[in-house]
Amino acid sequence: MKKNIYSGGLKYVSISLGLMFSSFILLAKGPTQDLSKTVIAFEIKHGNLKQAFRIIENETRFFFTFKTEDVLRYSDLNFSSPGISVDKLLNKLLSGTNLGYQQLDNNIIIKKISLLADAPQQMDGNTDLAFEGGVHGKVTNEKGEPVGGASISIEGLKKGVAANANGEFSLGGLKEGIYQVTVTAIGYNTEVHPVVITENNITEISFQLKLTTNNLNDVVVTALGINRSVRSLGYSSQEVSAKELTEAHQNNFLNSLQGRVAGLTISSAGGGPGQGVSVIIRGVNSLNPGKSNEPLYVVDGIPVDNGSSTMTLGTEGARGVQMANRVSDINPDDIESVNILRGGAATALYGLRGANGVIVITTKYAKAGKLVVNYSASYSIDKGDKFPDVQSTYTQGFGGVYDSASFWPTWGPTVKDAIAIDPTHRAVLYDQYEHAYVTGNQFRNTLSLQGGNDKASVSGSVSYFNQNGILPFTYYKNLSSRLSGRWIFSDQLNAGADILFTHTNGNFYDADRFSEEMTYWAPRSDVRDYLKPDGTEKENPANNGNAWYKAKTNQFISDVYHTIASGYATYKPLNWFSATYRFGVDQFSDNRSATAPGPKGVPDEIIDEDNGFGFVRKFNINSRSINSNLLLTFDHTWGKLQTTLRLGNDVLDQQTETTSTKGDTLDVYNLFNLSNAKKIVASNELTQYRIVGLYGELALNYDQFLYLSITGRNDWTSTLEADNRSFFYSSVSLGYIFTQQIKNLPSWFSYGKFRTSLAGIGKDAAPYSTSTVYIPMSSDPINPVGPINGVIQWTLDNRGGVATLKPEFTTTFEVGTDLSFFNNRLGVNFTWYKSKSQDQIIPVSTSPTSGFTTLTLNAGEIQNSGIEVTMNAKPVITKNFNWNIGVNFSHNTNEVLSIYPGLSEIVVGTQFGYSRSSVTMKYIPGESVGDIFGTPTSRYYAKPDTDPLHVNKKLPVLIGDDGFPELEPETNQKILGNAYPKWVAGISNTLTYKSFSLYFLFDGHFDVQKYDQLNNFMSAFGIAKYTENRNQTIVFDGVLENGTKNTKPVWLGQGVGPDGVDYGNGYYRNVHRGVSENFVEDASFIKLRTLSLTYNLNPKWLQKSFVKAASVGFTGINLWMHTNYKGYDPESSSAPANSNLNGLAGFTYPALKSYMFNLNVTF
Amino acid sequence: MKKITIRISVLFVLVLFFGSCKKYLDINENPNAAVEPPIAGLLAHGTNASAYTTFKVSNITSYYVQYLASPTKGNDLDTYNITDESSTWSYNYDVLTDMHAMRDFAINKNLVAYEGVADILTAYNLHLNLNLWGDIPYSQAFQGVTNFIPKLDDQKSLYDTCITLLDRGIVELSDPAGDGQLSSSSDFIHGGDNAAWIKTAYLLKARLLNQITKTSAYDPAAVLTALTNSYESNDDDAQVTLFDGSGPWTQVAINNALLLLDGWLSSYFVGVTNDSLYGYYDPRLPVITNKTTDGFYRGTQNGAGHSGSTTDQGESVLPEDKWYSEPGAPLLIATYAEAKFMESEAQFRSGHKPEAYTAYLAGITANMKKLNLADSSITNYISLPAVAVGSGNLTLTLIMKEKYIACFLMPVTWDDMRRFDYAYKQFQLPANANLDEFIRRIDYPTIEFSTNGKNVPNVKLTDHLWWDQ
Repeated sequence: MKKNIYSGGLKYVSISLGLMFSSFILLAKGPTQDLSKTVIAFEIKHGNLKQAFRIIENETRFFFTFKTEDVLRYSDLNFSSPGISVDKLLNKLLSGTNLGYQQLDNNIIIKKISLLADAPQQMDGNTDLAFEGGVHGKVTNEKGEPVGGASISIEGLKKGVAANANGEFSLGGLKEGIYQVTVTAIGYNTEVHPVVITENNITEISFQLKLTTNNLNDVVVTALGINRSVRSLGYSSQEVSAKELTEAHQNNFLNSLQGRVAGLTISSAGGGPGQGVSVIIRGVNSLNPGKSNEPLYVVDGIPVDNGSSTMTLGTEGARGVQMANRVSDINPDDIESVNILRGGAATALYGLRGANGVIVITTKYAKAGKLVVNYSASYSIDKGDKFPDVQSTYTQGFGGVYDSASFWPTWGPTVKDAIAIDPTHRAVLYDQYEHAYVTGNQFRNTLSLQGGNDKASVSGSVSYFNQNGILPFTYYKNLSSRLSGRWIFSDQLNAGADILFTHTNGNFYDADRFSEEMTYWAPRSDVRDYLKPDGTEKENPANNGNAWYKAKTNQFISDVYHTIASGYATYKPLNWFSATYRFGVDQFSDNRSATAPGPKGVPDEIIDEDNGFGFVRKFNINSRSINSNLLLTFDHTWGKLQTTLRLGNDVLDQQTETTSTKGDTLDVYNLFNLSNAKKIVASNELTQYRIVGLYGELALNYDQFLYLSITGRNDWTSTLEADNRSFFYSSVSLGYIFTQQIKNLPSWFSYGKFRTSLAGIGKDAAPYSTSTVYIPMSSDPINPVGPINGVIQWTLDNRGGVATLKPEFTTTFEVGTDLSFFNNRLGVNFTWYKSKSQDQIIPVSTSPTSGFTTLTLNAGEIQNSGIEVTMNAKPVITKNFNWNIGVNFSHNTNEVLSIYPGLSEIVVGTQFGYSRSSVTMKYIPGESVGDIFGTPTSRYYAKPDTDPLHVNKKLPVLIGDDGFPELEPETNQKILGNAYPKWVAGISNTLTYKSFSLYFLFDGHFDVQKYDQLNNFMSAFGIAKYTENRNQTIVFDGVLENGTKNTKPVWLGQGVGPDGVDYGNGYYRNVHRGVSENFVEDASFIKLRTLSLTYNLNPKWLQKSFVKAASVGFTGINLWMHTNYKGYDPESSSAPANSNLNGLAGFTYPALKSYMFNLNVTF
Repeated sequence: MKKITIRISVLFVLVLFFGSCKKYLDINENPNAAVEPPIAGLLAHGTNASAYTTFKVSNITSYYVQYLASPTKGNDLDTYNITDESSTWSYNYDVLTDMHAMRDFAINKNLVAYEGVADILTAYNLHLNLNLWGDIPYSQAFQGVTNFIPKLDDQKSLYDTCITLLDRGIVELSDPAGDGQLSSSSDFIHGGDNAAWIKTAYLLKARLLNQITKTSAYDPAAVLTALTNSYESNDDDAQVTLFDGSGPWTQVAINNALLLLDGWLSSYFVGVTNDSLYGYYDPRLPVITNKTTDGFYRGTQNGAGHSGSTTDQGESVLPEDKWYSEPGAPLLIATYAEAKFMESEAQFRSGHKPEAYTAYLAGITANMKKLNLADSSITNYISLPAVAVGSGNLTLTLIMKEKYIACFLMPVTWDDMRRFDYAYKQFQLPANANLDEFIRRIDYPTIEFSTNGKNVPNVKLTDHLWWDQ
């Protein structure tokens, strides 16, 4: 708690106990009371003088003013009285000390007797005493409400104080002069006012803080939970507040970051209930296709595992892309702020785990004050946001011939011709993809409460979330609760504890499989009619499985208990030294259960190919991470130079065990118990991982305008051999606030900072990647084979490693500026960065002929560079109407500089396409990560084609003698696109008029391509809208081999055309489906990500009720989109959320278009 | 004082953590796997998985030789389109890798019989790959990090390698020191019988020698010599009957019953075995498949797809209750019947027609016995005038026709067909064929293009392998 309440612009305020300053004086002003007439009950045991004064302050209206150094030595006081006047009490307490007191109004000043020249032990209020001046005042917000916990500091002096719950503060001990008083509070703009102090006077000054709209002067949570003011940072940092997160109303808070943060590429893999989200900060840094490029998530100081929950566990242990990220277990309503640390300097203290950037999540904590209870609810109606365009003319059959039993859903005749043959044929085809999805809904209820005083506070929340997916029968439930407490035991010791517990339960169906089935589905039948009266799968004309039946019966339930518990204590025995120890556990158990019924045994039963003879498969993942972190902080001020030295030790101990027991062929067809399965294959896998780190940081602050930080860290990892396991890396960053120093700037230039940093970071390998082993076939990831008659088959593990593996290193350089104009009404942040990673640890896909399919090697160098810009503007500020705009955009390019010697390319992954259209993602030196390789349309090269990798799309298409475009062989794969957007941008607007608030956010990804596998199938199966031209005769635009223009008319259909020529399977199957270039599509988009309208009830109406505040609102998510992409949502991908294979979209899932209603009430 | 405090606290932390650091981090030994496997476990995998390599290859070649046909019109495999056989490639090399490792372990432990089996199974699986792809990696293969972009070896030299491996395997298994070494329960092919392995090695050698009839190196005498040391009855057959769950062809039948359509008989194979092509029924057909609902044996034309509904059994398929695809059905790797047909061909080519004729009849009989036909059925069949042509009228075409039936679902048939330039009675291009001539090889798999691209050549499906020129 204190770290937040007392956080201030000055670093020493923020990092230590807010209550403890080497010296400060409290003064108060009000009607004078007679000390002798104020009688109180008083008791102190083993207390010190300062505590005694505090007790008197609590019981009376008096305020004490003293220098800490004067009173500190008087401790172990014991005194009690049921009733004693304050003057007598003071005499009692001060007897034997060299201190005396003086009353000034309600202020009692304690001073050394020597200073009370000629003063008697007891003084009356009029005795003139030479003392220094002070300030007293109140901090309020724009509504006049007190801002408790605001930090008040005097620039240039090591003096500061925090406002009490009423917003009041006093600060004394100031010599005569003019001072700059700075007031900071989280969520508000910092105010700086000059104040004139005269001897023996208390100057009254009040501050009215405005809600912040830019972060320039904010305090942010940086690495290891250290609060630092943004101004002191030598690197870029961007925070998203609770308010901004709430505006987005996304149930996975990661989606709320979309379009908000520069340098962040967020792709929701689709609209599945609880579905994971992919987050990439500043591009892909690691070439390792198997290792996540996701940032590290740190929740209340504890790193939280986000990756392993999406693990696939062989081919059956997950529903790949649909699985939830574990970070999404966090209720968005519980989050106070999310801070994104992007560069190496920002994350250096986190060590190797922070190498992909860090997302620091701070959950809500109680503020001192009354009990506050908050209830919020939201309900939304969801639909798919985009469906592929399908043809509606042709029906089941092949070669234009109607066949109600054909495998081919739409290569038959027109619907009209089919009805002439088969009167039962319906008049209009279903739009098969859109028709397969239903309307979903989401419902969230959150109740939170918080309260406490300045000694202890507690806050908690409980929330329930229920989502019914747009894919039939899928759902996701989440019950989450949180409890956090903060205690201030003394000025030396404070502590806190947080516990977050979540239970989620969801049924995930494989959306890829669902859409694939819909591709084989003849759209003349209703997929929703999936059951026969006897309860078995309803036969359908194409004799392919029914997607609805599969979704209903082929279940995959994941039941997760997730606990994140942490505690910390801070001990500050000396005013220049403090120690914080933090311990945390992140534990989850994910119990997955895949079940499908076997045949019921009724006549004419269709046996579903996915369900087979029925199965029950249990996959249990138990994961726990223990984190221990010790941080020692040393402060010292040398004149204008403030120094802070931090030293720390960090230990991570991680263990994950997965157990899979797969039972197939059920005896009782729908009894899902392992003992009911006739065949069982079991295996388990234990993974242990440990890192020990020692780190240090030296932060220098010269006169509040020049900031320098140097960090160093050494990690010892368990995943590398002893010779290579220790590695050191360091960073240096510099921030220079030139507006502070250059005095003659125009008044509209409010703030300006230049910052630069250079950082190195090391990374280790995945556990067990340095050895080569043999495994029983039952744990083979591709072809698991159980024991036969007690004989176990052994095989060399296809994933090989080498003992000489060494750590990889990434170096990041960044330079940027933060500018603010017109009294902070316009703010601009700009950052340019470049990073280079060497000796990348990559499981290189190798030829199976080598004995291995992957070998983990130090193989490759990659370079990323880019810019990030954020802008904030407040074009209109009036009494009733305000307009805020936030803009951010970022641009990233990367280049693979080199790969393993002798290798010409490293394959990341491949996705199937018909004929020759399979695409591959691979790394080739000189090219970019994310490049998608496939067969291009043949082009006419007058001269020999000397560029083996790029397609010259300006050249005419090469047409063969048969009049059709020529196909390239598979060996001629070229770069057809790149899966990472070159540009990511977002623009948000907040318009408030009286009690109404309108917020809308547009965001987009630009210059990005994906392989649309669905479209490849839609071509092969004659489903795509464009295949409606199949009965046309056209002349393809292009040239023949001799360079002359093609003039040959050809028919696009199947079989014998009007010209008497046999066209076989037709253009789409013979040519179009076989060219990858036709399916590597532009996946750029612009979305209206969020539109929300909120109405806050007029507080006047609520004055007499127990309700303090209330608001209602409507939010629309993904209401509008512009894209040229042919499949579902251009963001979605069939690759798991943390995979590097996101260029291979697969069949995917539509994203959600949600219409949401919100209610928020505070009591 | 301050400095001392700092020093003490830093020192304290350092000592605390370095004291136990090394041990604390020594946890990188994979707890889920073994550095050295039981050698019998490798033998188990090599012998069991060789059934699957055979099946995987057969699941390609059976469409080219028209044993099987896809129910889907214009199916890529049926119609000579490029198909991606990455999984077969990877699986076969996985088995080759384990046999390479088994040989190394066996040499270390001086287990000479294991060396022999490793050599024989290496030769067998290498030969399977060789006849699909021609040039493939071998001399630079299995080297892991030392070389994971191996160059391809010339197919002719690998052919010679196969023979060398078999010869070496025979020597190793003949070593008296190797007696009783093989684990009988872990040997899914020959139950740990060294002598049986030696016979199999000779049969495989004969198969190799028999394959080069188009080349000048062909020597029928060498084929016959190898066969002399080879199988003497059906009991010697190299086959696998025990699987984890269903055998591969049984699974095909199960899948088909589940509408994952597979295992449909080609109209050509049905034509050879019912009366349509030769005018008489083959008694093996009812042992292989069921009649259709309308009471016929009817295959599916390759490339044309099914003609009726896919569920009403309008066409013959591999069912779950017939010899090749019933539960417990053996997966055939090498058979006595094949040996007899090789003998017949070699004798024929040597000009020894009577011996050739005897072997021809013995081959038919052996296969029919294998399929548990009644003696009367066998006698009836080999008495048919069109079968019992007499040694004077025996032709290679007839030998190959009977071998085609006897080697049902075996990859060797595609080698035979290519040797005879597909000159089998009324054998035709599939419907909707993508080539205007018969297929001669398959393309390299995507996985090899993507991981070893610079070494993989561009080939056409009409390119002839070295022995098929």
